[in-house]
Amino acid sequence: MVALFSCKKDNYDAPTSRLSGRVIFQNQPVGVRSDGVQLELWQRGFSLFTKIPVFVAQDGTFSATLFDGDYKLVRLRGNGPWIDNTDSIAVKVSGNTQVDVPVVPHFNLSNVTCSKSGTTITATFTVQQVTAGSNLERVNLYLGTTMIVDNTRQDASAEKLAADVVIGQPGTISVTIPAALASRNFMYARVAVKTNGVGEALFSAPQRIEFK
Amino acid sequence: MELYIRNSDYLISDLTLHFKTSKMKNIRTYIAIIAFMSVFSACKKDFLEREPQSIVVEDQVFSDPKLIEGVLANLYDRIPTDASLTNRWTEHTAYDDAVWSGSGNSGDEYRNNIISYPVDRWRLWDYGFIRDVNLGIEGVQKSTKLTTQQKDQFSAEFRFLRAYDYFEMVKRMGGVPLVTSPLVYDYSGDATSLQLPRSKEVDVYDFIASELDAIVNLVGNNGSTSRANKYTVLALKCRAMLYAGSLAKYNSLMASPITLPGGEVGIPAQRANDFYNKALDAAKQVIAGPYSLYKANAANLGENFYEALTKKTGNPELILIQDFLQSKGFKHGFSYDNIARSLREDNLASSAIAPSLNLVEKYEYLDGTAGTLKTRTADNSDYIYYTNTQDLFANKDARLYGTVIYPGTSFRNLPVNIQAGVALWNGSSYQIIEGDLGAKYTDGKLLTGLDGPQRSALDLSNTGFYLRKFIDNTPLASTRTRGTDIAWIRFRLGEVYLNAAEAAFELGQTAGALSYINTLRERAGFGANSLTTLTIDRLRNERRVELAFEDHRVWDLARWRIADKVWNGSTNSPDAMLYALYPYRVVRPGDAAKNDKYIFIKQVAPRFKAPRFYQIANYYSSISQSVLNNNPKIIRNPFH
Repeated sequence: MVALFSCKKDNYDAPTSRLSGRVIFQNQPVGVRSDGVQLELWQRGFSLFTKIPVFVAQDGTFSATLFDGDYKLVRLRGNGPWIDNTDSIAVKVSGNTQVDVPVVPHFNLSNVTCSKSGTTITATFTVQQVTAGSNLERVNLYLGTTMIVDNTRQDASAEKLAADVVIGQPGTISVTIPAALASRNFMYARVAVKTNGVGEALFSAPQRIEFK
Repeated sequence: MELYIRNSDYLISDLTLHFKTSKMKNIRTYIAIIAFMSVFSACKKDFLEREPQSIVVEDQVFSDPKLIEGVLANLYDRIPTDASLTNRWTEHTAYDDAVWSGSGNSGDEYRNNIISYPVDRWRLWDYGFIRDVNLGIEGVQKSTKLTTQQKDQFSAEFRFLRAYDYFEMVKRMGGVPLVTSPLVYDYSGDATSLQLPRSKEVDVYDFIASELDAIVNLVGNNGSTSRANKYTVLALKCRAMLYAGSLAKYNSLMASPITLPGGEVGIPAQRANDFYNKALDAAKQVIAGPYSLYKANAANLGENFYEALTKKTGNPELILIQDFLQSKGFKHGFSYDNIARSLREDNLASSAIAPSLNLVEKYEYLDGTAGTLKTRTADNSDYIYYTNTQDLFANKDARLYGTVIYPGTSFRNLPVNIQAGVALWNGSSYQIIEGDLGAKYTDGKLLTGLDGPQRSALDLSNTGFYLRKFIDNTPLASTRTRGTDIAWIRFRLGEVYLNAAEAAFELGQTAGALSYINTLRERAGFGANSLTTLTIDRLRNERRVELAFEDHRVWDLARWRIADKVWNGSTNSPDAMLYALYPYRVVRPGDAAKNDKYIFIKQVAPRFKAPRFYQIANYYSSISQSVLNNNPKIIRNPFH
């Protein structure tokens, strides 16, 4: 009889509540490298105290499936293209929950447009200094065949070092389409701005460029 | 032997536990015991105090020099490496010197597809080792059976191992807590006395230097290559001080130096010269010592370099090795896993570490020009046609032959057969045709060699090259049953020359640096005084080609703070991507100057998918969350 009344083999249901949100600056999502930037979720009160890493998608969104409860959301230091802010954000997960994570980037990109002319893709952009004292390292233009484009997933890239970039003024950067990809119908382009001493860059939204 | 120490610890605590619980037992137990005692009252008095027959207790270990040697042997064996012949040997393919070409089972293929290095990849928090060393030092000092001289000598050897382990930790983690005596918990419920903060990075290097200075004349073991002697101590000091010097210099030169406010990470720039001076000083003492570069096979400098790395007897270059002995069963399978495909003597594995074209091209030509292989004409209009495949590699640094098996060479006196396919001239261009291993083309001649390369085959070179360094050429050494006892080299004189050259160069003593480098290059087939000027890049290249597959590359790039530039994660980068060289036989009847000649095509290694991506967060590995939880005084490393 005892055996018959024993628990189910797996006596916990899988978590079902979904925490999702965006990393935002001035209410706009911040573009990053896919799977590169991490937020941390912590939950106290259990014997296992270890972080739940939450990776930010390239469009600045993130999500995690969790048990209901109280969590602390931490912006991991020195990781994303924004200034460190060690204040944690209290998150109460109860069913599907939305939370926006405000950040202050070192530099931001605005007015990014990409166009094709012959075998060249040219992007115009304006780099804005958001945080005084941060030093610009470079601006890059990346081309890729899929929507996921960044410094590690790309087919062509161009680089402008800080000395060639005027902050606050429109600038241009061009890259030649690789010959092997010139006959495609379209490609995606993204512009990235990198700060000295910060691992990850801030990216513009990928733009689809029609070749035909 | 570590097991014995631990066992004796457990034994003591078990006994304590037993006494505690026995107090709580009820009176009937005591009656039973008394009854039992009275029946067997004829027993010897010390019935409960017999020496255990199956456990060696701590006092016994530290009264017997032979048993202490056992403890030391265990510790020598546990010296951490990132990639040796036995420990994590597969990680030789995780950087830029080789492409993983072995099996695709159990996730092995991931090494060709590392999107970015995890921040805990090089994590090392080796306090089990440190504790065992500290227990060893304490045990030796307390021992009543050892002479003073024995105590000094054993203590010195333990301290060498501790300094070595701290060096392995500091180069991965930055400053770590310096624990120099066994930490003992007093069961008071308060563990704060055991919670030590991280030391400054610079203090750990200073600790290593002062420890090594203190023991250099006590350690004994003259002439030993498997235990530390005076020169081993100096060789470790020279390497550690060189690391400290370059960290002090190059971290400070970064656009944003990596530091922590408490100095746990980041060495002040003004210490650079001091550390370089210490490195040079130690290197000079080793070079003046009883060692010399291996030059026994002057007739064949390529074979000579191979022998320098694989011969254990009569090799004056070895300073400290992790030795194996096949006849006693201390053997490993590095040759089984990495032997060239057609020479394998066992089934299943072979060819796992396939050297990359990146590495091969770093070996200079003997006239001192850059090592880029000449596969295309100067105006890039056509291939260059070679009569034999090995002609492409003519007049190269002899260390290339000693490190890599390239097309047209042999191993164990058997030729390797490296040919990817044929290039068929169709009137305007070449059509590439590839086939099965050993297949014949329609003209009756070879299509694809027995050693490939092929684009997607497992256990077959993917790059067109095989590893020679550290592969045993003894018959049957590449079987699993016999195995190989090639030693892993922890320190050899060749590295000390390079350390001396780098330290001298950084101190502005270019003439001295040139003489060290030229000595080493002379052994590789360059003439005497082959270099008259020196740049830091040339020096770094020399280090790469001499020390390939000896667990230096990733650490060198990290301490020069260029790892994030060289392995920048870009698919367009010539350094972050790994390349292969595929040889083809030309089928072009009617053009005798080209027909049946060989051409070579450079390409990204087909199995290699993701460019190497080393981020600034990788310069110091993350500290485990459990360590942070247990000790609130530990602060995290930057970026994670």
